[in-house]
Amino acid sequence: MSVLVVLILLPLVAAVLMLLLDAQATPVRARWSALLATLATVGVSLAVASQYTALPKINAKDHGKPISPRMELRHDWLTLAPSTPAGVPTKFEFYLGVDGISVAMILLTTVLCVSAVLVSWTAITDRAAEFYAALLILETGLLGVFCSFDLLLFYVFFEFTLIPLFFLVGIWGGPLRKYAAGKFFIYTLGGSLITLLGLISLSLMVHQETGLATPFSIPDLAQTLLHHRLPLVVQTTLFLMIAAGFMVKVPLFPFHTWLPLAHVEAPTAGSVLLAGVLLKLGSYGFLRLLLPMLPDACRTIGTPLIATLSVIGIIYGSLCALAQNDIKKLVAYSSVAHLGFCMLGLFALNVEGITGGVLQMINHGLSTGALFCLVGMFYERYHTRQLSELGGLATRLPRLGVLMVFTVFASIGLPGLNGFVGEVLALAGMFKVDMLYSALGALGVVLGAWYLLGVLQKAFFGPVQLPHSHDGHDEDVPDLNAREVLALAPLLALCLYLGLFPQTLIELIRPDVEGVAYVYQVTSHHDVKVVVGEMQP
Amino acid sequence: MNDLVISDAVQQLNRAVGLIVPDVIVLATVCLMFFAAPFLVSERGEAPAGLRHRWGWLSLLSLLVAGYVWWGTSPQPVTTGPFRLDELTWFIRGVSLAFGAVLVLLTWNQADDARSAETQACLLSIIAGVNLVAAANDLVGIFIALELISVPTYLFLLLPRRDAPAQEATMKYFLLSIFSSGMLLFGMSYLYGSVGSTNLEAIYAALTAGRAHPMPILLVVAVMMMVAGLAFRLTAVPFHFYAPDVFQGAPNAAAAMLSFVPKVAGFVALYRVLAVPVEALDHWSLAQFSEPLLWWLAVLSMFVGNLLALLQTDIRRMLAFSSVSHAGYMLVGFVVGTATTGGPTGFEALLFYLVVYGAMTLGAFAVLGVLQRPDRRMESIEDLSGLSRNQPAIALLLTLFLFSLTGLPPTAGFLGKLNLFLAAWGTGSESGHWLAIWLAVNATIGAWYYLRVIGTMYLQPAPMAVTATDSNATPSYLAMGLCAIATLGLFAVPGWLWALIQHV
Repeated sequence: MSVLVVLILLPLVAAVLMLLLDAQATPVRARWSALLATLATVGVSLAVASQYTALPKINAKDHGKPISPRMELRHDWLTLAPSTPAGVPTKFEFYLGVDGISVAMILLTTVLCVSAVLVSWTAITDRAAEFYAALLILETGLLGVFCSFDLLLFYVFFEFTLIPLFFLVGIWGGPLRKYAAGKFFIYTLGGSLITLLGLISLSLMVHQETGLATPFSIPDLAQTLLHHRLPLVVQTTLFLMIAAGFMVKVPLFPFHTWLPLAHVEAPTAGSVLLAGVLLKLGSYGFLRLLLPMLPDACRTIGTPLIATLSVIGIIYGSLCALAQNDIKKLVAYSSVAHLGFCMLGLFALNVEGITGGVLQMINHGLSTGALFCLVGMFYERYHTRQLSELGGLATRLPRLGVLMVFTVFASIGLPGLNGFVGEVLALAGMFKVDMLYSALGALGVVLGAWYLLGVLQKAFFGPVQLPHSHDGHDEDVPDLNAREVLALAPLLALCLYLGLFPQTLIELIRPDVEGVAYVYQVTSHHDVKVVVGEMQP
Repeated sequence: MNDLVISDAVQQLNRAVGLIVPDVIVLATVCLMFFAAPFLVSERGEAPAGLRHRWGWLSLLSLLVAGYVWWGTSPQPVTTGPFRLDELTWFIRGVSLAFGAVLVLLTWNQADDARSAETQACLLSIIAGVNLVAAANDLVGIFIALELISVPTYLFLLLPRRDAPAQEATMKYFLLSIFSSGMLLFGMSYLYGSVGSTNLEAIYAALTAGRAHPMPILLVVAVMMMVAGLAFRLTAVPFHFYAPDVFQGAPNAAAAMLSFVPKVAGFVALYRVLAVPVEALDHWSLAQFSEPLLWWLAVLSMFVGNLLALLQTDIRRMLAFSSVSHAGYMLVGFVVGTATTGGPTGFEALLFYLVVYGAMTLGAFAVLGVLQRPDRRMESIEDLSGLSRNQPAIALLLTLFLFSLTGLPPTAGFLGKLNLFLAAWGTGSESGHWLAIWLAVNATIGAWYYLRVIGTMYLQPAPMAVTATDSNATPSYLAMGLCAIATLGLFAVPGWLWALIQHV
């Protein structure tokens, strides 16, 4: 059995076992089982990574494939015989594989899941077995998305992640949890159904025009579309349809309203995974499907549209974050801004930009994941997240203060920490395309520093101020314990490591980023040829 | 000379009966049950305890034997006899026997010992009726087979629980069913009038030859009336009025049966009268009249069903409206028909969806059947509050079926809707694209009310504990399990069912 199957199924099997054998488990038993399962999954993901890095690198230019997954596993799922005798059958497959980008995302997911279990350690006492089972099932869904190279399988996992997250937010969330869970679910489902329609019409169109027998295989589809380019109008329509679900998920500016609500109401572990990985499903979808498959649409409509929305998102998200009194909501709005950088990078459509975008995906996962962990930790202590009620926490809780400062610096993009490299590359990539977007985006970096440092200034430094409920007995609030430090340590260590040695990650994703960028080199050459051909009849 | 005629007639009769052996077996069991049951019940209406188990086993056995015989049969070339055994007949027979067994399990403990024989016998004859609709090769045969479904249904709605709501439900169903039968007959008579035969093959031949062309208006009337009559069975808007009241008042097993079985019969009958597979014309010949009609029926059913389901507080009424909307989804497949250029044909998608829908809707009703409040029957959605704490396994199963009805992975409902999408989009025509878009819009609206039920089970505290009935629920649990396996299994390994469907 392939190691990828083990990777995807391990959390699911653990969750099913937990529900079947020990549904009434005490919180202690449940959390230890969950911790073991997530740690085992980290182990398997490291095995995947080491197997992947041991493989010889593929150069996209040499064999003309924009997407080349490795460690492939293909298995027939459903074959639809053609409706006409002359037709070619359509195949859905269980098509698993990994490339550098997915390996990076898989590692991020498994590491964040361990942190998610550790931050829920004492926070979740009600229905603990079900909680950890939902968390593990969510992990399966997320890992599945990153390993899928069949359009339909990708969509299945993409959609499936809604279910466990709905329960995580709806059962263990804050006061408005039911409303938040419902809004999140319907909003993203509505978006992704439009995506499904787009994906289906793309496959059917390619199938009809080229007779490709596996029109749902992402690499085959991308390769076919490289040589057989659809008309621009068709590409544009498909782009807008497929992008609909991803724009909601990312979320880009006018579609982001579900996010602050879901983030604020979700339990800490839910917020960590939501910000850390789930939002990346949107940008991953753009990167995996739209960029390689619909190059002309991405160039002509994608860049102006998405870049504009991203820039609006960066500035608007930052301004909203500045105005927040609730720290969790502030971090949620900062996600809107940070994902804007990521999208700005991806839609630069060149190697620098896409590299920066992918780096931002990882960076934001690590630093915002850590921020949500920290917010959860001091919420557990003071039962408030209102900036106006807090002050000078660093003197009371020095360890929390130090880690908070570190995380905020990582999130702002201080040189030497991870955020810096990604932001610079994304903005540099965009700079080559359009200076204006890049300049406006850079404004967001300043704003980001403003609101995040504002949090530090108000809540952690300055005169000590404690919420009313803690007046008089603030001495018994403990600083971070070993478990909480352990939850944060891997994330922060990775922030530092990627800040000092970004080359490791860049090398990991380079062949695949070049593969996507290759599409744009090839297609721009085509344009030149067509023009030349027209000029000399 | 006379001998020859007689032996010829006997031979023809033998040939005809040979095509419907499984249905004969089921109907023979029905006769046996109706005949024997009164002798086992005393004059005061008392029966030995546990008698219903024996009738249940007998019903299962009869379906099993019928299923064994069915498996041994194979499609025959269609002639002008009274019955046909083409691929569709064969497929539908398998579907109805399999889901018939699930329904027998659901009915097992619905009626008391004294009336269980008649209740199960009614169910069996309904199943035989579905088979015969598929096997009929004649307009009259189709009509009689449809009545073989309707007439026992009246009894089936009333027998298990003879209280006022059940009587009301039965009465409503009875009156509207008679009305729809009338419309169907009216339409069939016009079709007969314009082509001069009631035999399906003869009708197809006449239509292909263009013999009905001089009076196209007759065909229009015929098509409209037949569609109206059959739309009642499908619970398509605007012929859905009875569904919510009947589902709410009827016993649980009867509501489960009504949500699924009449749809199978209705779609098969619709296919037989409308979808004339004429190779030479290469499109559906009556479709030019029926297609716009069915297009609107599909869109209206989806929207009305889903929007009204949003407003319901009674869970069975909600499922009734959901059943209306699912009729709309399946009509999408029917409208698309064979007009696809890539992917599955609409009719294949419809058949796949029909099977999947059977598993998920019967599963959902099976769950509702075992739930009870201490004081009264479980009725409103609110009654399900906190079910996930009291009955985690049952809540999980209901969640599975509801997610499947929503069309979310990893359930078969997802593949069902996906195939309908593929078929509708694959037409490449504007009307097909709009159907696919309305389907997507409605899948989103539908998600909201299914999600509300799930939310009630998982996110609400339990004010009054709804419990599962302690005893006598084993058959229902078995039915639930089978439906759950089908719902998950058809997602993971849909290939075999698809292979069967593509032979049709």
